[in-house]
Amino acid sequence: MRTGNKFFGLTTFIVGSLLAMAASGSDLPADFAANPAAVNMTQQPKVVVNSGLLEWQPFSRDLTLWPSLSYDDKRPTPKPRLVKLEEPLNGDPARGRELAMARDKGYCIVCHELPGEVWAGTVGALLLKFKQHNYPNELVFQQIFDSRAFNPISVMPPYGTFGILNEQEIRDLVAYLQSLE
Amino acid sequence: MNSKLGWLLALLLIAPITNVMAQAEAPYREFDPMEDYLPHVKGDLRLSGSYKHWKDPKNLDWRMAGNPDENWKLNWKFMDPPFNASVHGGHFALDRGETIFKELNVKGRFAACLGARKGNLKGLRAAYPMYRPELKQVAGLEEMIERCAAKAGRVLQNGSYDNSAVSLYIANQSVGMPIKINVTSAGPLQAAYERGRKLFHTRAGRFNLACSSCHTYQIGLHLRGTVVTSPYGDVAHYPVYRTRYQLQSLHLRFAECNLDTRTQPLLPGSRPYTDIEVFLTGLTNGYPVSVPSERD
Repeated sequence: MRTGNKFFGLTTFIVGSLLAMAASGSDLPADFAANPAAVNMTQQPKVVVNSGLLEWQPFSRDLTLWPSLSYDDKRPTPKPRLVKLEEPLNGDPARGRELAMARDKGYCIVCHELPGEVWAGTVGALLLKFKQHNYPNELVFQQIFDSRAFNPISVMPPYGTFGILNEQEIRDLVAYLQSLE
Repeated sequence: MNSKLGWLLALLLIAPITNVMAQAEAPYREFDPMEDYLPHVKGDLRLSGSYKHWKDPKNLDWRMAGNPDENWKLNWKFMDPPFNASVHGGHFALDRGETIFKELNVKGRFAACLGARKGNLKGLRAAYPMYRPELKQVAGLEEMIERCAAKAGRVLQNGSYDNSAVSLYIANQSVGMPIKINVTSAGPLQAAYERGRKLFHTRAGRFNLACSSCHTYQIGLHLRGTVVTSPYGDVAHYPVYRTRYQLQSLHLRFAECNLDTRTQPLLPGSRPYTDIEVFLTGLTNGYPVSVPSERD
């Protein structure tokens, strides 16, 4: 529980720093499709038939917090993080399954095949019967938190380092994967 | 006394310079391994190998087109003319583009501004993006349409329906002509190609993904219901009719790609998007302009 708080603190710190970097709208690169006055600054284009003007609408998420492809964007990418999982795991497999399917959370099925999903992706490793591999919890936790620790060119998003999932959510996912027989 | 003053002055001068140097230092970024691309559509034979299935746009295998596990191998070219002979929103946009072009080009200045020789639009699309000396930079066709229309007093924002409609009309004059831009001779276009290649491999956004993370290294694999396609030969059918976006320019497609991978999108006509356009157009060299086309 203590370590949980510590990890949660780390994640909050990382996301907090990212937020602070993007806090002042005037610092946004000029070529961002963003509205500094909006709550979610990111805007998406809307093409209007028979019009010479391009409309912009608010996007559902604020993407200005992360490094972009703009040449004026001088923010660094968060570096790979090595984390230590302290047992017991205390993860909830049922909650982990929900996170694996949720669009706004893990959404693991985009790349990985999981039981009960017909339209699963094939980019990532098969996760069916995951328990058979006998991977230690710590390894699975690190893979989800920041897989760049194992492979610098991994295409798996660093869920922990980038603040997509918090520490307890990753624990739930580890518990879910370790329960797949 | 004088030497002390000299030191002080020197320090005052150096301090801002070192500060600027610290700011100019490149931030930590991550890159996918830089693939050695061939700036010609046949380079796909080394990457995904699917080119052999779509190199002849007239004679595609219709059985593959109807098979969701195989249609990625056709690079979706079965939705391009002449294979796709159906009437869709792209044809209406073509009519709109012709009307606007003729309104703007009464005295022939609009075509000349776009770079047409003696007002002849044939082959113009196949030569874009190109270096424009008056701008001292590389520009895409849609950027030039916006600038040249503004000279004639008309607002055609880059990415807007009317801008893309004019672009489609101009592209339609080059249907069947192979795309041909020179990105191998030293010059601004080659520099833009190299910048675009680097951007294509630059990790960005909330998921820390680059374009190449999928479109170079995961071609043919499933991302849920969609299958990743090759980056080769892909710009020949833009601007494209799509049900969700009506008429979508290439830069609006980049913005959509960015949004899908949770990366902050940029404005159409921005330098990074233009550089990626040059890179992808280089990978389409040798493939015919195919409009009006549609995609899902």
